[in-house]
Amino acid sequence: MAKLLIEARNIKKRYQMGEVIVYALRGVDFTLYEKELVVVLGPSGSGKSTLLNIIGGMDRASEGEFYFGDFHLHEASERQLTYYRRNEVGFIFQFYNLMPNLTAYENIDLSAQIAENPLDIDGLLEQVGLSERRDHFPSQLSGGEQQRVAIARGLAKNPRMLLCDEPTGSLDLASGIQVLKLLRDFCDDYQKTVVIITHNTEISKMADRVVYLKDGLVDKVEINDSPLSAEQVSW
Amino acid sequence: MHIRSLFYFIGEALKSIARNGWMSVASIAVVAITLLILGSFMVLNYNVTLITEDVKEQVQIVLYVDEEASGEDRLKLQQKLVGHPQMEEVRFVSRDEALERLKRQLGDRSYLVEGYEGEDNPLRDSYELRTKIPEDIAIVAGEIKEYPGVDYVDYGSGVVEPLFQFTGVVRWMGLIFMAGLAVTAVFLIAHTIRLTVYIRRKEIMIMKYVGATDWFIRWPFVFEGLILGFIGAVIPIIIIYYGYNTAVAWAQTNIYFVSLVSPEDIIEEMVKVLLPLGVILGVLGSSISVRRFLKV
Repeated sequence: MAKLLIEARNIKKRYQMGEVIVYALRGVDFTLYEKELVVVLGPSGSGKSTLLNIIGGMDRASEGEFYFGDFHLHEASERQLTYYRRNEVGFIFQFYNLMPNLTAYENIDLSAQIAENPLDIDGLLEQVGLSERRDHFPSQLSGGEQQRVAIARGLAKNPRMLLCDEPTGSLDLASGIQVLKLLRDFCDDYQKTVVIITHNTEISKMADRVVYLKDGLVDKVEINDSPLSAEQVSW
Repeated sequence: MHIRSLFYFIGEALKSIARNGWMSVASIAVVAITLLILGSFMVLNYNVTLITEDVKEQVQIVLYVDEEASGEDRLKLQQKLVGHPQMEEVRFVSRDEALERLKRQLGDRSYLVEGYEGEDNPLRDSYELRTKIPEDIAIVAGEIKEYPGVDYVDYGSGVVEPLFQFTGVVRWMGLIFMAGLAVTAVFLIAHTIRLTVYIRRKEIMIMKYVGATDWFIRWPFVFEGLILGFIGAVIPIIIIYYGYNTAVAWAQTNIYFVSLVSPEDIIEEMVKVLLPLGVILGVLGSSISVRRFLKV
């Protein structure tokens, strides 16, 4: 049995919109184990990104308990949350979010600089197949290449988990598959937990576990005994 | 902050300035132009002030001693004038000296006053007096008129008052104008620097996601604001220095009777005022806007 990494209980997130209170999450229970690849599926507005932001320590739940090992995230100070983001979490976004003024290498270095136990940057660049494009700026890279830089950046800090918000959302199929393959490889080779948020049901076929989110609640959780490889997925 | 971090932040700031190319050039230009306008007006204002002060310095009271006055009265008069608390300068002009002056003034026609030397000199002994504060001249003139041995007192009443009024207006207008310009400069510069941060607000967000502390995100921006403000201030100081030197050189050959503030004093003032203004506004402008975008 894999070790428990994150346990969240009854997570609620509400936003005050003028006079109205809007619930993005209405009481989500969520667990995350080490070295697994989890896909969180759900239509837009189901609370996927909110959940990801809370798991990643970018946002706080309005209610509920959230444990990362012995660490109580729901009681953490700003400083502790920053520390948690810095050392435990790597983020990957739909629109890559690379620093436009930094080269591929510098973008990865940026996150390695602040981490306590970073990985070798050139090694990572080689693994994502971008050694040749080391000194290129994001604007000189294709979408798929930018996303690969972003993955290398997420991983450079050597975090326990990679949180990916629609990582293939703006990529063509071939680039998307390439990115998914990298995520799977990192999950297996580096023993990282990878969470992929998407509304693309095809991607869920390569997950170890699929969490279905609907209207701010967990609809169901499926364990996938024989996940497909990234190359077998298509959409 | 560690020295290593300091160098890292400054390095990041310099890199960012270089890579943001046009945006950096634009903000430096705005800072430089704004400070150039402010600085030029300050130079103008210093000189106008100096000239009006010069004019005011030249205002004096001439006190004519009564011809009939006794030696005792004359001595008392001199003591009282020298002892007057508001008096800056007391200068006795004997009737002989006055005649010499007149001759010099007449130049070629000095023969007109020939033969008036000695006992026949029609001129009187007088005092030329300057008050510590030029504006006090009318009051002081009124007081000393009553002293023993005084025939009459002349300070150019009717001419001096409008002159003081004029210099006062010039002074106030200069101050108001300069304050207005300074406020405009503050807004323009702070907003320009804020704009450079605003354009890159996404970078702040990315840094937060990566797990950077607020200060780690803030420092490069602060240094960037500082460097932009510094360069933006140095440029107008150099322009004003060379421009003013040229202007002073021209003035010395063409309007030599007007004394101007020395270029060294001007440069000192510019460095004292424009440099801190540029640097402080650069730092404040960037820190304030970074703070805003740090709140997620």
